Amino acid sequence: MDIKTLMTDILPFLAVGAVATVKITILAVLLGFVIGLFFGLMRLSRNKLLSSIARLYISLIRGTPLLVQIFFVYFGLPKATGLNIDAFVAATSTLGVNAGAYIAEIVRAGIQSIEKGQMEAARSLGMTHFQAMRYVIWPQAFKRIVPPLGNQFIITLKDSSLLSVITVEELVRKGQIKISTTFAAFEIWALVGIMYWIMVLVISQWVNWTEERLKAGDH
Amino acid sequence: MIIKVQDLYKNFGSLEVLKGINCSIKEQEVVVVIGPSGSGKSTFLRCLNKLEEPTSGTVIIDGYDITDPNTDINYVRQEVGMVFQRFNLFPHKTVLENVTLAPIKVRNMQKDEAEKKAIELLKKVGLEDKANAYPSQLSGGQQQRVAIARALAMRPKIMLFDEPTSALDPEMVGEVLAVMKQLAREGMTMVVVTHEMGFAREVGDRVIFMDNGQIVEEGTPKEIFSNAQNPRTQSFLSKIL
Repeated sequence: MDIKTLMTDILPFLAVGAVATVKITILAVLLGFVIGLFFGLMRLSRNKLLSSIARLYISLIRGTPLLVQIFFVYFGLPKATGLNIDAFVAATSTLGVNAGAYIAEIVRAGIQSIEKGQMEAARSLGMTHFQAMRYVIWPQAFKRIVPPLGNQFIITLKDSSLLSVITVEELVRKGQIKISTTFAAFEIWALVGIMYWIMVLVISQWVNWTEERLKAGDH
Repeated sequence: MIIKVQDLYKNFGSLEVLKGINCSIKEQEVVVVIGPSGSGKSTFLRCLNKLEEPTSGTVIIDGYDITDPNTDINYVRQEVGMVFQRFNLFPHKTVLENVTLAPIKVRNMQKDEAEKKAIELLKKVGLEDKANAYPSQLSGGQQQRVAIARALAMRPKIMLFDEPTSALDPEMVGEVLAVMKQLAREGMTMVVVTHEMGFAREVGDRVIFMDNGQIVEEGTPKEIFSNAQNPRTQSFLSKIL
């Protein structure tokens, strides 16, 4: 395979897949963060019902393979409900719901790591539980949550490759398509790998930078 | 009576920590609670602003029965400042922000007004030059003085002190006690759990000796320190004086 084909044909083709991968990952992590925040707080709730629901969700997601979750949503649910789901929507939401369970645990651990005296001091000043969470606990917990959250971002990015099995045209799927016509398996898988690697490096740089910036407030 | 405690019991699981406390405290009174560790004195103090939920009994603060679930505890807590052994300043906020946070968010005070008030209070505790520092840049004694200013910013009627000098290096105890003495002189109603017998003797209007979840003896500092009647009080005092 000559360099020219690689640069003008294969690379642009894969780049389209990489953009899709980034898009899916960002949407999934955003969805996962909202779900994770919600269920992380539910998990900590004194209300037995709420915390049990959160516990069940986290256990179910963490206890089953992502591939099974993808098949279940894309092939299983339409069979049961009669409604067809768009592959992109099914992919993004499954990945988001999956990340949400892990992020819920990250949020829970972050909040629980804040010393009990902080909540007591805030409450003793007359703050409601919500105010104490909002102004005292959460800003401190968030700083601790950033590194594991960045980690989850990277995991979700790599997990998105599994979506190729339901024909979502992300990076891996694009690679497969191109190989089927060019048979350049070595070059293309190497390129796909490198593109993931670059994306991961960018994310970890961004996380480090955010961490540093948050640390600037610490003394 | 600004504080009225009747038949206060508190259990942690099967452990009985408070076994029937009865106690009334007048406005402007400075009450010092002493006793061996595990005697329940901190738990008693924490029941006065419901950081601990009493198992049974009533606690009436400035006319509000805080053991009644219908009482708005967040409102009553605005009247009751608390100072903790471990300071518990908010580490992500500056000294000034620590002092203004609750007045702004809870009392809905304007930011500039809250800051003006906060600077006054920081002056009072001798730390106005530290307004923009973060808690971790301060010594323990300075942190505790900020914590006192933070509690005072809500203009409480009562101040609770939970072993405020126990976590301090010895050379910093004096500066915190000095602020507390000034507060007492200004007529603040104070309940102080402490091992500082000098403070109790000098500033206290009344000393309560607790042991094993009960008030064993109470009286003026003079009565307790020079003429304790109960053998348990005598034995405790003989070990620490």
